[in-house]
Amino acid sequence: MIAPNASEGIRGGTRKRMMRLKDKVAVITGGAQGIGRAICLSMAREGARIVVADLQCEKANGVTAELQAIGAEAIAVEVNVANEMSVKRLADQTFERFGRIDILVNDAGIYLKAPVVNKSEDDWDRTINVNLGGNFLCARAFVPAMREQKSGRIISIASSIAHTGGRQFADYAASKAAIIGFVKALARELGPEGITVNAICPGSANTDMPRRHRTEEETMARLRSTPLGHVLEPDDIAGPILFLASDAAAYITGQVYNINCGTVMI
Amino acid sequence: MSLVAVITGGGNGIGRAVAHRFGRAGMTVVIADSDHAAAEQVRGEIAESGVQADALSVDVTNAREVMALVSDVAQRFGRIDALANIAGGSLYTKRIEDFTWTEFKRVIDTNLKGTFLMCREVARLMQKQRAGRIINTASNYAVTGSAFRAPYSAAKAGIVGFTKSLALELAPDGIRVNTVAPGPTDTPRVMEKETPEARRQRWYSAIPLGRTAQPEDLAELYYFLTTPESAAITGQLFHCNGGLV
Repeated sequence: MIAPNASEGIRGGTRKRMMRLKDKVAVITGGAQGIGRAICLSMAREGARIVVADLQCEKANGVTAELQAIGAEAIAVEVNVANEMSVKRLADQTFERFGRIDILVNDAGIYLKAPVVNKSEDDWDRTINVNLGGNFLCARAFVPAMREQKSGRIISIASSIAHTGGRQFADYAASKAAIIGFVKALARELGPEGITVNAICPGSANTDMPRRHRTEEETMARLRSTPLGHVLEPDDIAGPILFLASDAAAYITGQVYNINCGTVMI
Repeated sequence: MSLVAVITGGGNGIGRAVAHRFGRAGMTVVIADSDHAAAEQVRGEIAESGVQADALSVDVTNAREVMALVSDVAQRFGRIDALANIAGGSLYTKRIEDFTWTEFKRVIDTNLKGTFLMCREVARLMQKQRAGRIINTASNYAVTGSAFRAPYSAAKAGIVGFTKSLALELAPDGIRVNTVAPGPTDTPRVMEKETPEARRQRWYSAIPLGRTAQPEDLAELYYFLTTPESAAITGQLFHCNGGLV
């Protein structure tokens, strides 16, 4: 077994490290657990002020406490990204507390595993409304402020499944593929305003999600069976998002980054 | 011990910016270029900031020269942690019926074969180390094509396919291989052929971010692909074109 993280020592250098997101305000939907939580922590470590936005209020409070414990400014906001009024309240609370938004990470998402023939219209609507609709509503709520600032970063979490499809995940795959189309269109629309919009497609990561329908043993065996032989951790996904949110990625927009230890190459 | 990076085409344009970026991160930088004077110039610039740098001549289309380069670096520094294959170019812009077989092969060799030869030699060393990152260079034309640059577009698309296969092949050794695809970038070679005004008219309205790239924009992406932050990324294609593609 190879642990690429252990062998990858390139970072830092001879000079004092600068905080890459110093004083930036970042809103992370779905920030209360898994990949979203890792994004919150990595951005906070780089100096960002964080809004942990999640339907699960208690967990969001927990992450906020973790962020404050490492000296970051953070608030938790309860949000249903598929509800227009709820997203508006998220924006209001963000501006009330921090007065601006620099980074929006659309990570809130759900999936309801079922064959297409058994899928109810309600379940279909719910998946599409949260996963895709959340991107739309959050963009509408936060883009005006980014436009005014003439800067901003939007990063949406899609999925490898957008490329490969997934048995009994048709609605999820549709919603994630649709995010890619949405992101590309939005990148063209907002480029002239100095706002970049990109998507990330993570492969199956070491979170609660893959465990829902498998034993622990099955889950780990599946997570390890990647070309790199490396289990995809939430931090592996947070790193590239940090890059896209930083000044280093100022010229990158409309792109889809695949982070999957080599399982999908497209 | 600082990490060792080899940058082909490091004497000019994007390669030069990458050499500077890697140097700034504290890596030992080997600038490999067929234009030795240019490589030497960049070496001097980087060495000024106290970073160890070397300039070596190489024609990446020549297998013997590539072997000599890699064994030279291995002897001097003992290892290669990062390889950025940036040497390349479209060389000609003309209608397909006007391309000679020799010209076609020259474009393919400069871009695709050069990448193969460098990867082959460096991969042997990285396999022994059981670690490494390789970053190859394609172009947005690999995906979109470009009128009057059919051989170049073919070579660059070839690099994308080559990179994916190599990524699968080298993954068990802990080596990651990715491709960067630059869009219109203000390199000296391009700026020689086009006035800034003509360039503005040609590109600015087509690029959502409203400007062409500076070599430094690309250098950040190459650097990112060497860091632990990209530890779970292999076999992927990274466009950097302001939203053009």
